[in-house]
Amino acid sequence: MNSRVDPNLLHELKKYGAVGIEKCFNCGNCTAVCPLASNEYNFPRSVIRRAQVGQKENLKAQLDPWLCYYCGDCSATCPKDAEPGETMMAARRWLTAQYDWTGLARKFYTSKVWEIGSIVLVSILILFMFVFFSGPMTTDHVALNTFAPVQRIHYGDWVLAAFLSFFLLSNIARMYWLSIGRSRIKIPLSVYVTEAWKLIYHFVTQKQFEKCDEEHKGFFKKARWRNHWLLVSGYVLMFALVVGFLPWFQTDNIYPLWHPQRWLGYYATIVLLYGGAEILWQRIRKENQIHRFSHPSDWIFPILLLLTTASGIMVHTFRYLDLPLATYYTYVIHLMILTPMLVLEVPFGKWSHLAYRPFAIYFQALREKAADQSKVTAGALASTD
Amino acid sequence: MDNLHMDALVVGGGIAGMQSALDLADQGFQVALVEREASIGGRMITLSKVFPTLDCCSCITTPKMSAVTHHPNIHLFTYCEVQSVQEHGAGFDISILQKPRYVDVSKCTGCRDCEYECPITVPNPFDRNLGAYRAIRVPFSTAVPQKAVLDPEYCLWCGKCEQRCPVDAIDFSQQPETFNIEANSIIMATGFDLTPIETKKEYGGGKLHNVIDPLMMERFLAPTGPYGRVLRPGDGKEPGSIAYVQCAGSRDDTLGITYCSRVCCMYAIKQAMLLNGALPLADITIYYMDIRTFGKGYEQFYQNAKAMGVEFVRGKVANINEDADHNPIVKVEMTDTGEIVERTHDLVVLSQGIVPASRPTVSLPLGSDGFISVPSPDSAPCVTKRPGIFVTGTAASPMDIVDSIVSASAAAAEASAYIRENNGRLEVQKEALYV
Repeated sequence: MNSRVDPNLLHELKKYGAVGIEKCFNCGNCTAVCPLASNEYNFPRSVIRRAQVGQKENLKAQLDPWLCYYCGDCSATCPKDAEPGETMMAARRWLTAQYDWTGLARKFYTSKVWEIGSIVLVSILILFMFVFFSGPMTTDHVALNTFAPVQRIHYGDWVLAAFLSFFLLSNIARMYWLSIGRSRIKIPLSVYVTEAWKLIYHFVTQKQFEKCDEEHKGFFKKARWRNHWLLVSGYVLMFALVVGFLPWFQTDNIYPLWHPQRWLGYYATIVLLYGGAEILWQRIRKENQIHRFSHPSDWIFPILLLLTTASGIMVHTFRYLDLPLATYYTYVIHLMILTPMLVLEVPFGKWSHLAYRPFAIYFQALREKAADQSKVTAGALASTD
Repeated sequence: MDNLHMDALVVGGGIAGMQSALDLADQGFQVALVEREASIGGRMITLSKVFPTLDCCSCITTPKMSAVTHHPNIHLFTYCEVQSVQEHGAGFDISILQKPRYVDVSKCTGCRDCEYECPITVPNPFDRNLGAYRAIRVPFSTAVPQKAVLDPEYCLWCGKCEQRCPVDAIDFSQQPETFNIEANSIIMATGFDLTPIETKKEYGGGKLHNVIDPLMMERFLAPTGPYGRVLRPGDGKEPGSIAYVQCAGSRDDTLGITYCSRVCCMYAIKQAMLLNGALPLADITIYYMDIRTFGKGYEQFYQNAKAMGVEFVRGKVANINEDADHNPIVKVEMTDTGEIVERTHDLVVLSQGIVPASRPTVSLPLGSDGFISVPSPDSAPCVTKRPGIFVTGTAASPMDIVDSIVSASAAAAEASAYIRENNGRLEVQKEALYV
């Protein structure tokens, strides 16, 4: 691995939000208070130290930032107010930019013009598509599937899903290359299979997050993990409904209230609304350690989420009130917010963490298993000598 | 009492205040020394040995205390507090409160009969409340003056001491009295307190049984200490493993104390060395962020401690908990290896730093660190913003004993120049020079 020192690395991380990183004198307090750090993954100090000494290539290989779920204990007790938690946050943004081969993630994280400009651009693109390709507007009653034929939208969904998957998967491949591939660690194929359950398990449960929240008692115990899990469940459910079952979900039939088409949608909506509003409220309040500093990307995420949810609720309401034009217009607006959110945030932005976090745990397990096995092999060799 | 006219008033009878008073008195100036406690000696008289020479602290302090009390030009006022300071020409008019000792000091001979008779046992602050003494007592064995003092907070007014006293010195009718001193200059030598550790909840907030402050360890190690040996206070067990947590309250922005207290590295190393002598089988570990051994002979002292087997671990202790037997457990990242460890010790000493002692009565501008502000710390380190008032020792900034003594002589020199410049009428009594 290239071990050349990059003197600008610290400065670069500051652009991604690493406030106070230069104040750190490496006392190790942050690592010792961290409920998730271990001897092999002794973050946050490991990350700060690499940044301070300019070990850029080495930092690119680190999985540590993804193993941190930001409880804020490190920042709260740091004797230098060096905000190690924010450095971990910045390192995650920076790594997202390193994994992303298109270079868009770097642009979005370091330039508001790029970020907001791209959102606007994708929105306008969606608007144009409706202007040129939408069906006739029926005005005597709501006929959404005439205005926006569900099969056409569904094809659009698939294109969208393919686009997201392609970029996200290729970025994950780069993450694999940077953290495992290029270091030429020998990992037997069987280990990839036997450890794969961790990927699924941690994607579904986000169990590590739970360990990060030991301070609260009673009802609020694990509240952060619970809120986050609910938000993810709503998000994944909505994504599945839209991409997998749109013809069933977007229909001009009005189902009774007990029908899964309705309550599944309501569940996801409520959870997204609550989750998004909670994040935004906490960031405005700035009361918790973890919300004291907010990068522009931290604002765009909940704002887009809330706007998407709100516009979705409006489409739904107008349809039930039988207001055709209002339904069509809000539908277009809904997609104008939803599409850039998915296209830009999932592969190139904050939401990519939904993949990077479980994959980091998976890669960590691969490395550890490989290390264990090589020890056994070395031991066996030694005994035969 | 009539107003007393003095050339200088020294506030605080610790090592810095005593040195300033002696330096001025030796030049023939009339000096009043005001001490809040019943005896002079300050923090230093409670300590075990000085670094880096390992000389006995009492052996250095006691002769100074005697010199102060016997000096013809020093007027000692113990158990007194400065109440207010008014400008008066080029000098000052100082109002002083004499707290009642309930003992007539003109009669008391320091025989301690009252102390032996007193039935009330109270915690002894001289021993950091680890030991006990009586409600009426001579404050400690080498106290100056050797006069008894009665603590009204605990006294039952049973009168046994009064009956026993061979010289009828007990006087229950004493009241607080106020008197004035006119002085041409003032030297503030008000000293320090330990950084408050109650606010550092990660270190137990002062509630853990076997986590002590460094002044307690000084008392354990002093020949006159409360137990005469090193025992942990939680259960009286002899500790087999002792840890020092450095920067416990210094260089910590979370406590608002950003500065280095300068003495903690050296006193921890010194105590570790003394513990090696007191408990030869004990393991001693010092957890540190940086070891700062800046003075003459200090680095060699540190190297000696290493050679003696004291373990130095680089890493800031993140938190301290205790197990069921009240053994403290420290959690730390050993930053040289990146290993995160939880280690159990028998006794933990928090190397607390230095904050200025409270001094509400003399109004002086303070710096952002809370110490008395010195406008030109590089060129005039003892000169405050109020002309005629000087500052010395740890009232000015954190410093060790060597630096305090240097600073005390510097303050005396500044005060001497000020007095001569502003009071031509003064006649220096050369014949009264104390040798």
